[in-house]
Amino acid sequence: MARAADGRDVIVASNLSRTFRRADRQMVTALDDVTFGIDRGQFVCLVGPSGCGKSTLLKLIAGLMLPSSGALEVEGESVTQPGPERGMVFQQDSVFPWLRVIDNVEYGLKCRGVGRAERRKSAEFYLERVGLSHVARAWPRELSGGMLKRVAVATVFANGANVLLLDEPFGAVDYVTKRNLHDVLLALWTEAGSTERRTVVFVTHDVDEALILADRILVMHSGRIVDDLAVTAPRPRTTDGLMEPTMVRHKHVLLAHLGLENLQGDAKAPTGGEGTEP
Amino acid sequence: MKWLIAQFRRRLVSILMLLAMAGIWQILSTIYTAEAVPGEPMVPGWQIVFSRTLLSLSDYWQGGLGVPSVAEGAPQSYLAALLSILDHSVDTIVRLYVGLLIGGLVGSLLGMAVSWSPWTRRIVDLPVQLLRTLPLLAMVPMFQLWFGIDFVGKIAFVGYGVGVIFFAGVVNAVKNVPQIYIDNARTLGASRLQIYRTVVMPAIFPEMRGTILLSLGIGWAAVLGAEYLGAQSGLGYVIIYSEQFAYLDRMFVVALIFVFYASISYAIFDRLSRRLLQWTPQAGRVVAHG
Ligand SMILES: Nc1ncnc2c1ncn2[C@@H]1O[C@H](COP(=O)(O)OP(=O)(O)O)[C@@H](O)[C@H]1O
Ligand SMILES: [Mg+2]
Repeated sequence: MARAADGRDVIVASNLSRTFRRADRQMVTALDDVTFGIDRGQFVCLVGPSGCGKSTLLKLIAGLMLPSSGALEVEGESVTQPGPERGMVFQQDSVFPWLRVIDNVEYGLKCRGVGRAERRKSAEFYLERVGLSHVARAWPRELSGGMLKRVAVATVFANGANVLLLDEPFGAVDYVTKRNLHDVLLALWTEAGSTERRTVVFVTHDVDEALILADRILVMHSGRIVDDLAVTAPRPRTTDGLMEPTMVRHKHVLLAHLGLENLQGDAKAPTGGEGTEP
Repeated sequence: MKWLIAQFRRRLVSILMLLAMAGIWQILSTIYTAEAVPGEPMVPGWQIVFSRTLLSLSDYWQGGLGVPSVAEGAPQSYLAALLSILDHSVDTIVRLYVGLLIGGLVGSLLGMAVSWSPWTRRIVDLPVQLLRTLPLLAMVPMFQLWFGIDFVGKIAFVGYGVGVIFFAGVVNAVKNVPQIYIDNARTLGASRLQIYRTVVMPAIFPEMRGTILLSLGIGWAAVLGAEYLGAQSGLGYVIIYSEQFAYLDRMFVVALIFVFYASISYAIFDRLSRRLLQWTPQAGRVVAHG
């Protein structure tokens, strides 16, 4: 279902599979023969029920684990280990509790030997962008969950990654905070200009979140990619924009994939689905 | 002055408890008047401890600094007693802390080697785990034969006793470092060495606090054990020497000196680690006010 790779792709996965051997000795296929390509500068959302392999796919791209079979290339190079050009915001809190907020944001730059003044400037810039200048010297324990997510976002942006992998970053955040974080994330993403934009892979199980953020939505089910939607609605996407007929249709399709709806009316039946994949 | 009064009020209960313990000791000394040898009470009262006993410690002064020793025919004096306490304490403390430092360093490095790579694990894990089970006190004579009865032998012994504790503590604490922090550091571009320095070490420190406190205690025991068996100086030497004449009161004073030093080192460590642990959620936690 997902479009095959072409020359402009940053991320190329070919027949990618990953199996786990659980403690009870059962084999679990988390990712089952997945093939897709992702364009440079695209904002891609990965949607699917929990347990369908989203995190596994993201960890493979990050290089935190290796595929069981198939090939995965980022920027034309096979992924064998993590690297600073692929930044990740984890589902759990990953901010180091033993570093002050600003030292967290500087961490990656420091590891790679960026000078003190330069990395401080960069960290201050991104902290300001996520609205956390006032807690730069605070300890992470003094921050709320939503603030910690913003620190994590500032950290990967400051680190200058070309590919951003975000694993349900705002899953545990309240609605209002989540909307604000979307604005922050999109602002950071768009301000680079369309030629230098970073490529984003954003995992979520929240259909509205995907429709607000994505250029393209990949739908996963049981370790496979079962649908690939292009979301062409203009940005910024307003509440009205989300009620445009194309968006409503997308929403119906997504809800159907999640098993919440049978498609009726003018909404087209999902063309993908398990087993129908070519 | 105000600060002093505040401190006093804050610690009033603790101070009263201390005084009560001293009082009980004094009462015991009047009730239980048995003597180990004639003139040496089993429970020496404070009036003896702070006069005759203290003075008698000048027996262990070896002379110098213009203060003649008892062996040279000089009478016992408080100055010589004080100097002898200091002299023997310095010997013991230097042995203790050099041993602690070396043992802590080597033990920690070996402990981290276990998680560094499959190869370092294979090389380090089993041998050190076996070494760890050797009974410490039974090893004193062997260490003396191997490393001699001088400085090196004692350092090696303290280092060994402390090192195996650090090893076990580090191995265990590293296992408990949440994977998420290591993954995060890796995706941000940290090298393996950087991960150990900036993630593993700070992450294990809260858990290592207990290990370090334990090793302070074991360290004291080890250095005294080493001094019992062949030393010409140090607090352990004073105790063993006193034991030969059943000088219970002198042993008691040396034990009090231990308590004093141990309290100081615990207090210093507490202050230091509190600074280093500012980041923990538990910093400044109270279960209930009042
Ligand atoms: N380390 C692991 N060991 C065993 N099974 C795993 C492991 N990681 C993931 N799985 C399994 O792989 C499947 C996909 O997991 P995951 O990628 O985390 O799903 P998602 O992120 O979409 O919720 C699940 O069935 C899960 O139980
Ligand atoms: Mg997941």
